[in-house]
Amino acid sequence: MVRKAGRQDLLLVGRRRLLPRLRGHGGAIWHRWRYPFTRRVPLLFETTYNPKTLRIDRKIVDKRPLYWLAGLIVLLIAPPALGDNSFLSAATVFAIYAAINVVWMLIIGTAGIFSLATLAVVGTAAYGAAYLSINFGLPWWGMIAMGPAFGLVFGIIIAIPAIRLEGFYYALLTVGIVELCRVYVVQSRALGSATGGLYGAQTFVPDAISERGGLVLSYYAAFFVMLAALALYRAINGRRLGLLLRAAPERHEAFAEAIGVNYRAARMQVFLISSAALGGIGGFYATYFKGASPSLFTLESLLLLLAMIVIGGIGTAEGAVTGTLIVVLFDQVFIGLGPVRLMLIAAIMLGTVLFLRGGLFGMATQFRAWRGKRRSQTRALRTGKGGEVMPEEATEISDKQIIYVRRFDKHLRDELKELITDQLIEEHRRSNGRRRSDALERVLTYFRRAAVVDKYAVLTVKPFAEYRIIALSGQRGVPPHTVDDRTYATPEEALHAIFLKRVHDLLES
Amino acid sequence: MTFDPYYLILTTATLASIYGLLAIGISIIWSSLGMINMAHGFTFAVSGYGAWLVAQFLTGNGAAVMAGGILTGMIAGALIGAAAFLPLYDKPNFAVRSLIATLALSLFGTQSLLWVFGPRVKALPKIFGYGSVHFGTAVASYDKIGSIICSIVLLLLALAWMKRSRRGLEIRAMMQNPEGAALVGVSLRSTAIAVMVATGGMAGLAAVLLSQTYYVSPYSGTMPLVKGMVVALAGGLGSITGALIAAVLIGLVEAITAVGLGGQYVLITQFLFIIIVLLIRPRGIAGMLEHTRE
Repeated sequence: MVRKAGRQDLLLVGRRRLLPRLRGHGGAIWHRWRYPFTRRVPLLFETTYNPKTLRIDRKIVDKRPLYWLAGLIVLLIAPPALGDNSFLSAATVFAIYAAINVVWMLIIGTAGIFSLATLAVVGTAAYGAAYLSINFGLPWWGMIAMGPAFGLVFGIIIAIPAIRLEGFYYALLTVGIVELCRVYVVQSRALGSATGGLYGAQTFVPDAISERGGLVLSYYAAFFVMLAALALYRAINGRRLGLLLRAAPERHEAFAEAIGVNYRAARMQVFLISSAALGGIGGFYATYFKGASPSLFTLESLLLLLAMIVIGGIGTAEGAVTGTLIVVLFDQVFIGLGPVRLMLIAAIMLGTVLFLRGGLFGMATQFRAWRGKRRSQTRALRTGKGGEVMPEEATEISDKQIIYVRRFDKHLRDELKELITDQLIEEHRRSNGRRRSDALERVLTYFRRAAVVDKYAVLTVKPFAEYRIIALSGQRGVPPHTVDDRTYATPEEALHAIFLKRVHDLLES
Repeated sequence: MTFDPYYLILTTATLASIYGLLAIGISIIWSSLGMINMAHGFTFAVSGYGAWLVAQFLTGNGAAVMAGGILTGMIAGALIGAAAFLPLYDKPNFAVRSLIATLALSLFGTQSLLWVFGPRVKALPKIFGYGSVHFGTAVASYDKIGSIICSIVLLLLALAWMKRSRRGLEIRAMMQNPEGAALVGVSLRSTAIAVMVATGGMAGLAAVLLSQTYYVSPYSGTMPLVKGMVVALAGGLGSITGALIAAVLIGLVEAITAVGLGGQYVLITQFLFIIIVLLIRPRGIAGMLEHTRE
């Protein structure tokens, strides 16, 4: 039955129709909005002609800016509008930690330095700013301004070993440095060893404001800090420094050096810039919490921070923010669970690292790779293809008719194989020139239809005495060749021998 | 305080023996499994609790308490190996992922200890008894001498096991070349578990010995982990000789600092020492030894 392929009758194949599509602007298919004075575009479009409808399709190639915008708008509006006071302070903590993690991602992901002393940089700056504020009356904006200075100095100190050490040696050393800071802070009387922290610093929340108002103000300030961290991430990772470092990934440093990338200087630059930024966040931390506590330097806080970036996936800003969201949610909202909530976080972290290669945001890539692997495995398992065209082979055959011919041929042969029996062969031997059964006729029709190349024929050596089987070459001017040395007394015997050969070939195929 | 060489030597020896136990464990795990075991501190802490449970509910006998600690350490080591090494060792990016996995295990373990036993510290019985011996002008309490002797005995046993036994041969093969070892029929999985059990036992002994001076608490593993790691780092990851030399040197630095400057400067001088060592020899002390040997 032939059906007219109308628009409704077409099967919906593929995901192309699901992609959001925008109309073209008449002939101006290359028109783009750009940020002023740059060549950057807010959204990357791809404009193509649809091969079927010949209409212009404008598709958004990278939809991440839209997701970012939506997520940030939710974060901007939801917590102050919906959350109670404790939720709002948890959201503030989230914003501060997200800022720290985004900057940390610059160090671990972009610069490729596995430093675990991030929180120690923040803590040092927080302690320094709080100390200056308490003892010398530094106002809150002065604390935020002094933070980067402390961060930079501490960053330079911990960057010195990074020049010589690599990978794990540096990671282990930074864990030691964190512990050193903790012991120093716990023991030092000037840094509040007696009170369990250094408290009493100035805050940016004015006294006159209500409690709720103060919380909302703090949240927006922290949100602004997070935005600044994201902007810094974009400015470093998406520009020249990030590109230089992307040219020098781990174990390819020699290549980068050979093409003239000074990756060491680039790494140091990123490390120092990030340290200064972390110091700034530390100054903000001190003004928000009105001081600093030794908990900044504990191994546990370090592990929580690491859990945040591991769960989201190392190397992306969205991973840092999402991981922070998940961990802070567990840590602050389920605070009633006690140690169990940290066990849950550890379990999530362990599960992520055991099963996912690149955290939550690497899941899609990993799933695609896994699906591709499974597909090729199942393809490799299908050995009994019987002359049918394999899907990967089909892409290389331009005349698609051949594919269908071979598929039809395969199905036909499968059907004919079931007809071949001893009775059928016996019938062919005896029934030469007489009426034959339907099954035998079918088999013979298939044999007669074969191409001339290597088609068998009977050669008369001596009439009525000696016959032999030959195979035709199928090429003009090339004589047929003999198949074997056997001779037959009658043409009927020779024809039956050919039949047996063809049956054998059919069953073998 | 006046300078006293006997006291200095004794303190150095005590510290060096305990650091050595931890550092050699970390070092062997790194060189044979290629994994930095950040959960070694958890093994340490849980062994302290194992020993405490034995002392509390079974017997206060010193040998039994020590055996309890070592046994708990072995079990914890095997569990860490099963959770962090076996699922990951043939996966891409193994080094970083196993580091993170052991950190997660450490967080999990510490919090579960906190959950089960509560935040209050526990004290172990004095397994070597009370009393002291006089060395020249210095006074050595029994537990200091006991610590030194026990750790030396266990270290010698471990080294002999590594040198003589079939399993030790497999471990050494895995340290030299894991792929080669796998090709000649050494099972990486069972050898790895054996390594984790042996090093867990060492950490267990170190926990029992150190708990003679300090208390057992959920967070008691952090400081020994950091010190053991730093000693292993200074000695050169993967080298037993290097770890021993570094343990003695760092014990000496700690003893001199404690005598000369005061206890709160110990970590600072240790870190200065290690950073100087690493700036000169980025691969640790034994990196130098192996280099000259070649």
